[in-house]
Amino acid sequence: MKRVIMLLLLWCNISLSLFAQESLVLKGRVSGPTGEAIVGATLSLEGRKEKSSSGPGGTFSLSYKKGDALHVSSLGYVTYRVVLNGQVSLDIHLQQSSEALDEVVVVGYGTQKKGEVTSSIASVKSEDFTKGAVKDAGQLIQGKVAGLRISTPSGDPGESTQVSLRGLNSINGSQDPLVIIDGIPGDLSTVAPEDIESVDVLKDGSAAAIYGTRATAGVILVTTRRNTATESRTTIEYNGYASLQTLFRKPEMMGAGDYRRLIADGIPYQDLGSETDWVDEVTRNPLSHNHNISLFGGNSRTNFTGSINYRNWEGIFLKSGQERLNIRANLNHDMFDGKLKTNVQLISRNTKSNNGGSSPYMWRQAIIRNPTDQIYNENGKWQERDAYFYDNPLGMIYETIDDNIFRETRLSGSLDYRPIKGLSLKMLLSRVQNNDLSGNATTFDHINTTKNNLNGTASRNTRSSVQNLTELTANYTATFDNHKIDVLGGYSWQDDTFDQFYAYNFDFPTDDYTYNKLEAGMALQRGLAEMTSYKENRKLIGFFARLSYNYKEKYMVLASIRREGSSTFGANNKWGSFPAISLGWDIAKEDFVKDITAFNQLKLRAGFGVTGTIASASYMSQTSYNFERVQGAYINGRWVPGFVPTRNFNPDLRWERKNEYNVGLDFSLFDNRVYGSFDYYTRRVKDLLYQFNVPSPPYLYSSMMLNAGEMSNMGFEALVNVNALRKGDFKWKTGLTVATNKNKLINLSNKQFDVTVPFFEAGYTGEPIQMSTHRVEVGRPVGDFYVWKTVGVDDNGKWLVENQEGKTIPISEATLDDRQYYGNGIPDVNVGWNNNFNYKQVDFSFSFRGSFGHQVLNMSRMYYENPINKAYNVLKTAYDPVYGKTLTNDLVYVSHYIENADFMKLDNVTLGYTFKPNTIKGIQKFRVYASGLNLLTITGYKGLDPEAASYRGDFTFAPGIEHRDRYPTTRTFTMGLNVTF
Amino acid sequence: MIRRYKYIYNALLCGAGVLGLLSFQSCTKLDEEVFSEVLEKDFKPSERDLPFIVSPVYASFRSLMFGWQGYFDLQEESADHIITPVRPNGWDDGGTYRRMHQHTWNAVQWQPYNTWQQAYSSITKANMVIMQIEEKSLPLPDEVAQAAIAELRAARALAYYLLLDNHGNVPIVTDYRNVALPNQKTRKEVYDFVVKELDEIIPLLSHDVAPMYGRMNVWAAKTLLAKVYLNAEVYTGIAQWDKVIAVTDEIIQSNAFRLDNEYKNIFSAVNESSPEIIFSVPYDEVYGHGNQLHMKTLSPLSRLVYSMSAGPWGGNCAVPQFIDTYDPDDQRFYDSWVQGAQYNATTGVEVINYVKEVPGIGGDGTIASDNAGFRIGKYAIKKGATSNLDNDYPMFRYADVLMMKAEALLRLGRENEAALLVSEVRARSFKSNPEKAIVTGIDLLKGSVYNYGWQEKDGTIKGENGGADIKFGRFLDELGWEFAAEARRRQDIIRFNVFQKKSWFNHRPHENAQTRILFPIPNDERNKNPNLKQNPGY
Repeated sequence: MKRVIMLLLLWCNISLSLFAQESLVLKGRVSGPTGEAIVGATLSLEGRKEKSSSGPGGTFSLSYKKGDALHVSSLGYVTYRVVLNGQVSLDIHLQQSSEALDEVVVVGYGTQKKGEVTSSIASVKSEDFTKGAVKDAGQLIQGKVAGLRISTPSGDPGESTQVSLRGLNSINGSQDPLVIIDGIPGDLSTVAPEDIESVDVLKDGSAAAIYGTRATAGVILVTTRRNTATESRTTIEYNGYASLQTLFRKPEMMGAGDYRRLIADGIPYQDLGSETDWVDEVTRNPLSHNHNISLFGGNSRTNFTGSINYRNWEGIFLKSGQERLNIRANLNHDMFDGKLKTNVQLISRNTKSNNGGSSPYMWRQAIIRNPTDQIYNENGKWQERDAYFYDNPLGMIYETIDDNIFRETRLSGSLDYRPIKGLSLKMLLSRVQNNDLSGNATTFDHINTTKNNLNGTASRNTRSSVQNLTELTANYTATFDNHKIDVLGGYSWQDDTFDQFYAYNFDFPTDDYTYNKLEAGMALQRGLAEMTSYKENRKLIGFFARLSYNYKEKYMVLASIRREGSSTFGANNKWGSFPAISLGWDIAKEDFVKDITAFNQLKLRAGFGVTGTIASASYMSQTSYNFERVQGAYINGRWVPGFVPTRNFNPDLRWERKNEYNVGLDFSLFDNRVYGSFDYYTRRVKDLLYQFNVPSPPYLYSSMMLNAGEMSNMGFEALVNVNALRKGDFKWKTGLTVATNKNKLINLSNKQFDVTVPFFEAGYTGEPIQMSTHRVEVGRPVGDFYVWKTVGVDDNGKWLVENQEGKTIPISEATLDDRQYYGNGIPDVNVGWNNNFNYKQVDFSFSFRGSFGHQVLNMSRMYYENPINKAYNVLKTAYDPVYGKTLTNDLVYVSHYIENADFMKLDNVTLGYTFKPNTIKGIQKFRVYASGLNLLTITGYKGLDPEAASYRGDFTFAPGIEHRDRYPTTRTFTMGLNVTF
Repeated sequence: MIRRYKYIYNALLCGAGVLGLLSFQSCTKLDEEVFSEVLEKDFKPSERDLPFIVSPVYASFRSLMFGWQGYFDLQEESADHIITPVRPNGWDDGGTYRRMHQHTWNAVQWQPYNTWQQAYSSITKANMVIMQIEEKSLPLPDEVAQAAIAELRAARALAYYLLLDNHGNVPIVTDYRNVALPNQKTRKEVYDFVVKELDEIIPLLSHDVAPMYGRMNVWAAKTLLAKVYLNAEVYTGIAQWDKVIAVTDEIIQSNAFRLDNEYKNIFSAVNESSPEIIFSVPYDEVYGHGNQLHMKTLSPLSRLVYSMSAGPWGGNCAVPQFIDTYDPDDQRFYDSWVQGAQYNATTGVEVINYVKEVPGIGGDGTIASDNAGFRIGKYAIKKGATSNLDNDYPMFRYADVLMMKAEALLRLGRENEAALLVSEVRARSFKSNPEKAIVTGIDLLKGSVYNYGWQEKDGTIKGENGGADIKFGRFLDELGWEFAAEARRRQDIIRFNVFQKKSWFNHRPHENAQTRILFPIPNDERNKNPNLKQNPGY
């Protein structure tokens, strides 16, 4: 009854207004917080059908009747509402909407209002991205998503960031999150950072389960920039920058002077009569530049977004670098009164590099080379020496040709049919093709020939892949009374084919051909050339459904299921089901707290979801054989290849399954001034795919791929944003992310084998120490170092270590059983602190990032802080006493070199100035900025960079090694400008 | 309200329709398309495929013998001929070579595990092929099948012999289909199994020599049997000297083999043509990789001497005390060791001068210089060598048959007959001074000339106890000179109690020396198979 009266009153009101008022014209301008024009903002009057949008310069004009309520909205801004009382002009300033509960979050196969989200999803919009010379999408959100650890362990321009979400969750499966670019799988460098509108991260199982088997490591949804205007709009944007890199920290090796001083003291170094700073010789301070042009155009029915991005990044090593051209075109067209929406998108990515011989191993050679040696010998050739693993690094750089071309084309199209309000039937088709072609050659002046008599080497390697994707989805949304319901159903079919070909030859009559005439090498005839080819295919098919419901945005529930099958698993276990459910309750909307105005939102969330991890390779469940040369023998007077089983067969191979519980709180307080979220999760991965050691005999191979383990991760994540100052000319927004993670390997066992593997060793020191560095043991976290613990040095300069009984013994008596756990390479806590300031036209931002509670093996000290080997250069600190004694021990892997690596980094500082609109005629926005990346590190760690430890590949289970052979990290200074026409 | 429900109904209907449409077979088909592997169901083998199927059984012997930290290191570095000292470019490697030298290895030591793995790899592959032949999934004519099975059993017996010798108490698996955790057998049981297998198959094996090169023919099986009998006392406590004589006589009387006129030909890059070789593990620069002895032993500088296309690693070398035992007229001294000044192949300039002296094994800060110690040169390194040599490893050769018989005769008190055989073997190595080739029965009863004792850094021998007290020590010396660097010294010195009792270089007898005769059962395998008990003393 009450409602009826309300409706009646409302009707009366409107009717009265209609009759009472005459039409007025309102002119004005829509702008953002810093005064920049907002083009394409939607303007509508409450209760009217027609809409208009702001044109060039943000200007608009519309007619209204007194008392009308005007709504102004634009993506990324808070919708502005004003009741018009006879004004004829109005300047509208929209507030950016990152704090708004109305903000839209991408959830996979759709979007949700932030206020309705019931799972753990982090969303980062473009205005909060890291500024400056950013490598890829990962670096854009570094330190901005709690629980997502992003590191850049290498300074190589061609290397991408390393991302891990909520700890380590697989042993043999992929550790990388699934990255979806506008609905299609890709990676963090598929599109240029400048082309990205927002990055959303599905963190917990209940959010990610809709992506089923690929979701355990999390899902990162990248949305590219789109023309969102509903009216005619043509805008051109130019973003450009130039940047300069310097070594983050230079290793302090002994110089020629140090050598001569030590020789005078009777230490048998060799004085070769010259003076060379090898690290300086192989590095430079490279200048890089990046240009991005984006074009937005079209009208309400047809619009276009295009961008061209050219980037030329030079690396800190001589000759290293990468040139990249990304082109994107996105076309939208509406038909039949908006009932059919079509979209075509083309993304083309081309990278090219001509790297020479700058490699991590080259870096080692620069570091260990005698500083009294010369670069060239008396004949003008590279000065080489006959020592073991000891080569002129400049010869390596200049006498190696290492070229690579990567081309990718992503073509996608979609049809979205909306026969009735709220219903959308969508078909998405896409094809991603790429080709990676490398050529490598060494000249006659390379050590391959000068030392090893190979007479030039050359190889080509090509890899290509094709991915076809078809997705059909049906989505129905309805709102009635206080109920909102959203139903999704869908089907997904994905087919991936991968091809590879490689050929290598040597013994060439000339080095002029480089890699362009492989057949000219004679090693092929001598049987010493190499060749490989390979092809692989995999299919992934999924059916999925999702239901979300909320009542008054107070009580919310979301449930989803994906039934998915992969060709990579055993015949009996191809299919798996991945359900999820999550609930939300916004306490702030309850009557009993309504009066506490401080609460804008106080949403409790709880979710449970099951996800899987895709197998890292196809065919692991196949019963198959191969002809292998290494398995061949001399039979009947000739060599034949051997025919052997490819693996110990396991047709029962199945999915890894992760169950995750997540509870969280989203809050927004004091008129949305303080907002953020807290999350606690506990996840447990079962049926871990593991290369399980099986007894041999009776098995042929001593390991086989089995579902044989369990691992758990738990942690707490917090994100707190504060709009400390948001009124007036001076604005300050600050945000803090904190994430903890605790990992534990629960067991490694399989029912088929009545044994539990207690541990496995991981990591490798390399030559000449040749020991494993880590041990992964059941009941302990991944990442533990396993090492002889040093407690002193004896009078002869030899290490004293602690044996298993805790007694001090000389290292020469230590056995492998005397090693013990000593520290862990994975941080317990990761922190990010981001700040944005605005004062009138000036913007300033800085961010800190830190990791705490972890250790790093300083390999440089292990190899170069020991004076034992006079054939190689060492750190200046090598002759410093250790435990008061001078070290005379052989190079060994001991705990002395494992250091606390807690650090806090001043990661990104940007200072910008935006000119007032139309300061220059025809230019809507003009901003210049200067930015720095990786500027300062506060740490007790003695190496070059505590963050320069890889967590991928060989280091997945041996995290926290700052390797001696690496591409050192850099500090980057950038100057740039953004212009909008 | 009803209208809204209708919408939902329509929506669901449409959704269901789309899904229904897609439930067709093709949209849910997940069969794997395989391109770079041969599926079992697609492979229909025949007799023509036999070589491919049998060859993996032999392939394991390549990595077993000369592989990285393989059988060669296991037999030589635990004995008194060869060491890997710490050098300027490393070779501490966590003390692994020191532990081999000082017999302080434990159950995680890699070298014994490597032998275990490769031997069982060969055994399991043999079991698999035997099963395929017996089950007719590899259909063969009866005669071919019988010969193939006999050969596979012989190869398997060879692998079990290696386990018998090194690990002793190991499981015996003969059925490929049975993947139950196997039980451990005693060393005696393994010995009995090997003898029984060989007795059963010898009548079925091929008598061909050249066509069966690198494979188990009847002569290889008989030499293996002689080897097992020769060491029967070590394996079982009961000596079988008469049986050694009986089996070796069969080989000798067959006239299928003879001593090579040139000692070095037995080890050359084309040694497959040597008339002396009974069974070898063939290696090839192109097809059969794995002979990398030269890479481990030579200094990086020796690359220039041989114009190599790879840089050697510079590791192991001869124990100086052993070098001191050689007669300077013994050609084998020069054919076995790279020594003295080495010259650049193109410029003729001296690049390195290998000296006999080695200061110590290391670990105490002692570093052997790059040129310290004579290097293994027995397997002649050709000019332009790659990192893989062509030289085959002669596991069984005719001189060994003669020496096995000689040892049995000697131990049965027939030293004069033994001396004839020893002299026969020596003859080719003393061409410059033929009289020195002759040894007498009285000579063979003498002790060893090896100056056993601890070597100080300056090369002096401390606490020396020499070799005079070693029973038949002179005969052991003969074995040393003839078979140096042939991956067998450990077995020989165990039979002569030197392994257990003597010091050499930086090795002292282990406090529990008798237990070192067997290597430990690898911890990794015990973790996987709880039926395996550790050998005593570990």
